[in-house]
Amino acid sequence: MASSTLKPGVPITLQELEPSSEMLKQGASLRVTGILQSYDVDSAVAVIQDGSARLKIDTQNLRDISFRSNSTFQFIGELLIQPNNDAILQARVGRNVDGLDLNLYQQSLIIRRQHEAKLLSSRRP
Amino acid sequence: RLNMDTLHLVHVKLLASDLLTLTPRHTSPASFVRCGRTVARAEVVGVVVSRDRREKFLRFLVDDGTGCVPCVLWLNHQYLNANSSSDSDPTGEMASKMSEVVRLGTLLRVRGRIVMYHGTIQIAARDVVLEEDPNVEVLHWLQCVHMAKECYDLPLPSA
Repeated sequence: MASSTLKPGVPITLQELEPSSEMLKQGASLRVTGILQSYDVDSAVAVIQDGSARLKIDTQNLRDISFRSNSTFQFIGELLIQPNNDAILQARVGRNVDGLDLNLYQQSLIIRRQHEAKLLSSRRP
Repeated sequence: RLNMDTLHLVHVKLLASDLLTLTPRHTSPASFVRCGRTVARAEVVGVVVSRDRREKFLRFLVDDGTGCVPCVLWLNHQYLNANSSSDSDPTGEMASKMSEVVRLGTLLRVRGRIVMYHGTIQIAARDVVLEEDPNVEVLHWLQCVHMAKECYDLPLPSA
């Protein structure tokens, strides 16, 4: 199965995708979460928002998702930085995550990252 | 002497990055070492990012954001239980039912034995559960961190 080489979609908050962020890399595999602001049926481009941060999502590869405005969605995919420096996530999978406690999610993400960093340093020879 | 290290008897809650870097031991059945303790079974929670259904098995990848865990769900229990006199195959039926919840983009909890396949760690799934509440994934992260701190990382009690 060639897909065993798939990279994990690293969870980040939309605020972390600011222009100077090291996460903002061509081809980066990311998992993003936000509230659906708009969805264009013709281009299959969705826009999600978290606070003041927004991100475009290319959903043309997704099936069986009903895009409801103001619902919370999570997408995993690769970041494409266009020539005009506009970033769009090319989603591989997506799902509705209505009911997710975003505040708890973001706080837990910080705890999880600290744990991962500790694990990584302990496994380093 | 009583062996107090019983971690190998339970499904250990691990993040993918932790599971995929366990040290294999050359035992049969397979077992692995984490911080000096033997681990044989694991529990992971994540999103299905790939699915490959064959006649005898279903292979899928569970992405928890720290790694993608290869999982296999065997569907050929009727062959494995060929000597059984009964026509019914409850294990096979259960596996077939579990395989239906493995769809791209769904959040799953997978429990099973950790095995080595072609040099890669994977889970031979025993339970596959569809998680409909997105908060359970966050709870699983916190449980992994908590269990590592309070149990899995602690030094072995001296024998």
